[in-house]
Amino acid sequence: MNRTLSVMRMQFVNKYTFVWLPLIILGASLALSVLIFAMIPYDGGKYGGGSQAPIWYFFALGITSLSYTFPFSQALSLTRREFFFGTMLAAGVTALILAVAFVLGGAIEVATGGWGVNGYFFYLDWVWQSGWLVAGLFFGILSLMLFVIGFWGATLYRRFGALGLTLTLVAFGVVLVIAMFLVQQLDAWGTVFEWFAALGAGGLALGMAGATVVFGVVAWATLRRATP
Amino acid sequence: MIEEGRALFLQIAESVEDSIVDGSLAEDTRAPSTNELAAFYRINPATAAKGVNMLVDKGVLVKRRGIGMFVAPGAREQLRTERRTAFADRFIQPLLAEARTLGLSPDDLARLVRERAAASDTLEGNAR
Amino acid sequence: MTAVIEVSHLTKRYKETLALDDVDLTLEQNTIYGLLGRNGAGKTTLMSILTAQNFATSGTAHVFGEEPYENARVLQRICFVRESQRYPEDALPRHAFHMASLFFPNWSQELADELIVQFQLPLKTRIKKLSRGQLSAVGVIIGLASRAEITFFDEPYLGLDAVARQIFYDRLIQDYTEHPRTVILSSHLIDEVANLIERVIVIDQGRILLDEETDAVRGRASTVVGDATAVEAFVAGREVIHRESLGRVASVTVLGELDAADHARLAAAGLELAPVSLQQLVVRLTQHSAAAPAAGSQATPAPTSEGAGR
Repeated sequence: MNRTLSVMRMQFVNKYTFVWLPLIILGASLALSVLIFAMIPYDGGKYGGGSQAPIWYFFALGITSLSYTFPFSQALSLTRREFFFGTMLAAGVTALILAVAFVLGGAIEVATGGWGVNGYFFYLDWVWQSGWLVAGLFFGILSLMLFVIGFWGATLYRRFGALGLTLTLVAFGVVLVIAMFLVQQLDAWGTVFEWFAALGAGGLALGMAGATVVFGVVAWATLRRATP
Repeated sequence: MIEEGRALFLQIAESVEDSIVDGSLAEDTRAPSTNELAAFYRINPATAAKGVNMLVDKGVLVKRRGIGMFVAPGAREQLRTERRTAFADRFIQPLLAEARTLGLSPDDLARLVRERAAASDTLEGNAR
Repeated sequence: MTAVIEVSHLTKRYKETLALDDVDLTLEQNTIYGLLGRNGAGKTTLMSILTAQNFATSGTAHVFGEEPYENARVLQRICFVRESQRYPEDALPRHAFHMASLFFPNWSQELADELIVQFQLPLKTRIKKLSRGQLSAVGVIIGLASRAEITFFDEPYLGLDAVARQIFYDRLIQDYTEHPRTVILSSHLIDEVANLIERVIVIDQGRILLDEETDAVRGRASTVVGDATAVEAFVAGREVIHRESLGRVASVTVLGELDAADHARLAAAGLELAPVSLQQLVVRLTQHSAAAPAAGSQATPAPTSEGAGR
């Protein structure tokens, strides 16, 4: 367990990857968004997609954590188990930091009336509907889930090559298409949307947490026999 | 300095023996340690140790507990005697073979040896 | 001496290629081994399997008596930095060393710092921007400073100039003398490492051709040079592993020690003897084995199974 914690520490040795860069991306897209909001003459609330940027970064981070740090962890004679859990812990910590940043950002936005320009980067109504805690969990878990997906994708690539990765993506795509087809057949789009709306940010967060665990287990299984 | 094709530990042992025979490593003085030999020749210390152990077995070096390896008393003479015997194989045999191809008889050889010995003595005498 | 690595019937198959073919090997504590062989001979595959970075198709490999896979207890006593090692994105050398210090119980920062100076490693340059030689230096420093009980060096000299290579050999000997451990050095530059290694293991096309003490192998072969007819007469009945000729002069490499009687015969026949360096011997043995794979061409009593021709 001690070594697993050290793996987490290891991911933070170069603070650039796990700390500075996500914050920089957050800051940059926030600044850019506010600038754009300020330039748009509109009295209602303005919303952009800028807040997605730091969250999508987690997807990229998941990929690079495996591609570059896994081979080195093997050179340091770490087991795959230690590497996996230590890295997930590190991602959790960073996701937590991001979630805190989002919650604080949201609070500031509400207090300042959208940075004085009615622009909302963090405070998306439907996310905050059930309160700041749920909002924080939502952002944090979403980030973590994207991390695990990126991590798994990279592991698939490493173990099974481009073909394996593509086939998996295709499989997911097929499942999605079939699901959409069924919904179409049953003319159930309305029901689906209602269901999502009822779920709210809290329900979604819970669902994503479950998905994160599932992806995590699958990623772990794929990693078990991956070679650096 | 290190030759190909011959066991390294033998060469190390020989090198130590050379310095005993020519007097640069005196009897009853400390011989180079295994680690010193390894560092100097840039070889594995285990190989150096093998060479040193061989010399200990031969009685050329003696281990003094707590202090180190020393050149055994009488080692110089022991080695010289050993080498005199080997000398004939190493030098005389090829000499005779070469002489034969050149058509020199053993008597011719003996004469040449005496001439050259006298000449080099004179040179040394002049040099002094 | 205690065995620290025991390999039995180890085989690794990639589709049609046999990277390792029924390999048996025992490596002892506190010894420097040379793992020699051509590119693709199986050296890296063997080392990867021993460190659980790769998996065997069949057979067993035990390190410190246990299986290394997912075995932190055993793995932390080993260090294997491979030849084209990947480092974390955007990492600086000092990041890599810091990370290494977290996981190798015997890590010596003092030694690492000395080596950084000796190899003139630029600490402010990102690893991905380092030259090939500097990259090798990073790997070498991690390998040496880890002071792991079993340390593998996978062709550590790539990109290192002669001066840097000599620094590596010297520091290796020095640190090994003070802190003995098992070192496995895979190399092409056989003559350079010949004086460092206590045992030579030659691997070719996944099979062990030789596994002996270095000193026993030196003097194992000689090259007889002279008039072709005389040379052929001399080498009749001996195992020849290489032949060359230029006009009437032939140069034939034979296996087997030559005694005083042989020397006399040589002198009498007007033939000369050229020594065979370890590198030449390994090269010749490898070529010889490639040309005549079927039974009977074994040069030494090495523990391989030479099955029906490949």
